Amino acid sequence: MITVNKLSFSYGKARVLRDVSFTAERGELLAVLGPNGVGKSTLFRCILGLSKPQAGEVFLDGERVCDIRPSDLARKLAYVPQSHAPTFNYSVFDMALMGTTAQVGGLSSPGAEQIKLVSAALERVGILQLKNRGYLEISGGERQLTLIARALAQQADILVLDEPTSNLDYGNQLRVLAQAKELAGAGYTVIQSTHNPDQAMLFADRVLALKGGAVRALGKSDILTDELIGELYDIDLKQLKRYRHT
Amino acid sequence: MVGTEKAKKYTLIVIALAILVAAGIVLSIALGRYPISISDIIAIVSGGGTATQRALFFNVRLPRILLACMVGCSISAAGASYQGVFQNPMAAPDILGASSGAAAGASVAMLLQFSGRGIMVSAFAASLATIALVMAVSKAARGNKLLGIILAGIMLSSLANAVSSFVKLVADPYDTLPKITFWLLGSLSKVKLSDVPLAAVPMVIGLVPLLLLRWRINLLTLSDSEARTMGVNAPRTRVIVIICATLITAASVAVSGLIGWVGLVIPHLTRRLVGNNFKHLLPATCLLGALFLMLVDDISRNLLITEIPLGILTSVVGAPFFLWLITRKREEY
Repeated sequence: MITVNKLSFSYGKARVLRDVSFTAERGELLAVLGPNGVGKSTLFRCILGLSKPQAGEVFLDGERVCDIRPSDLARKLAYVPQSHAPTFNYSVFDMALMGTTAQVGGLSSPGAEQIKLVSAALERVGILQLKNRGYLEISGGERQLTLIARALAQQADILVLDEPTSNLDYGNQLRVLAQAKELAGAGYTVIQSTHNPDQAMLFADRVLALKGGAVRALGKSDILTDELIGELYDIDLKQLKRYRHT
Repeated sequence: MVGTEKAKKYTLIVIALAILVAAGIVLSIALGRYPISISDIIAIVSGGGTATQRALFFNVRLPRILLACMVGCSISAAGASYQGVFQNPMAAPDILGASSGAAAGASVAMLLQFSGRGIMVSAFAASLATIALVMAVSKAARGNKLLGIILAGIMLSSLANAVSSFVKLVADPYDTLPKITFWLLGSLSKVKLSDVPLAAVPMVIGLVPLLLLRWRINLLTLSDSEARTMGVNAPRTRVIVIICATLITAASVAVSGLIGWVGLVIPHLTRRLVGNNFKHLLPATCLLGALFLMLVDDISRNLLITEIPLGILTSVVGAPFFLWLITRKREEY
């Protein structure tokens, strides 16, 4: 379980997050919704312990995130970045194997146990057949699944997915979202950011809607009324209705 | 189990390279203006042989061949490490300015008549300062990061070369100048048996941490935040790797002068053999680098009556390789 308590964050004078509080339970998929630039990435950076909030705290099962050593944190909390293009063309298997680094000592390499974990993780997200392919040679959706497999091999039970569908085509978006949903069903806590309300409605158990860096609404996905969406994205209600109900 | 086929292939390649290095050492000892036969080598190693043969073996050939292997191994390992930590396939000790910086430090030390150890320390200090400047300049530079670091390296290399040139200008033309000039061209022809332990100490101090940390170098090729969420302190690990890679570069330059391209070419050739995973890449790079420089040095001392400096030969191989690297279609490494 992850608890965010009255989190505030500013870059210099610009306040990005104000008084953000919420809880994500075991086995739920929480969508963090809001337009680009609303503070979703900053919120994630604070949750992951990458940025230090000026006020407020993040707790993992009662323990403050900033008090947990990075190597211990890696075994509780896994980050799935947007599918990226690193410089070197690692194999899909090696890319996923990197997730197991925190399980072995600082001066050693992952061993047989970690190799088993990675095979199981790749199998689970359905891309074991790609294990020897280059990470840069596969599609964006397959890369995203590789990064999810890496997070699973990391053996954390909380997964933080940063806009996992933003560079994907329609089919791959659905595949990745279905995978996230399935993991939540299997007992993982999944926190996923998105700027797309339709995705939040389709897949999330609960939605956290951010506006101007503050929580505007939090609840089951039926809170996403046309009025709320119009307000979050600053669009004319008539225009929105015409678009959504045709 | 998954991954074992690859591990098996890697083990075979490493064993093959190790055998080739060992065979190469024996062959290289035999080769030369005064050939020593294999049976003579066995006799010398077991305490026999003539006094001339023993002197030739222990004072001339063995140190030179060992140093060729050590330097080849070190600059290749440094190149692979720099490529990883700078996330840059074009990185290499000579391109980043680490070699030129070490050369400037060493030539100043030679001008001031420092001892071998003094030259080593001065080379390391100047090399580390150059790399630190390259990092600072590339961080401040706008635009393409890949290009920024290369341009910063080129700029600071030329500044370091200016220092070396100035040293040549003021050096004693009958004694220090020829010594510095020939050494700067990149050569192992003047090495002595005492140079082997002198270079071996910093090389071991630098290589051991690199080999121990080699799995973690993989995570440095991703973003720092990503590495941190997987439990790796990227900035700290990067500093350790850079210091170690610079130390072995400086040790190489101090004994052998400027030997270009090896640090770029060998890691890429090794990537073709064993892939990008540093767990396999780094040991294989060390062996291939040792083998390569030993063979090039054999050519250097046997091809013509006069010796061809190593640096000239490695450039002949390296420059076309670099052109191929920057012009090929696929942007993957």
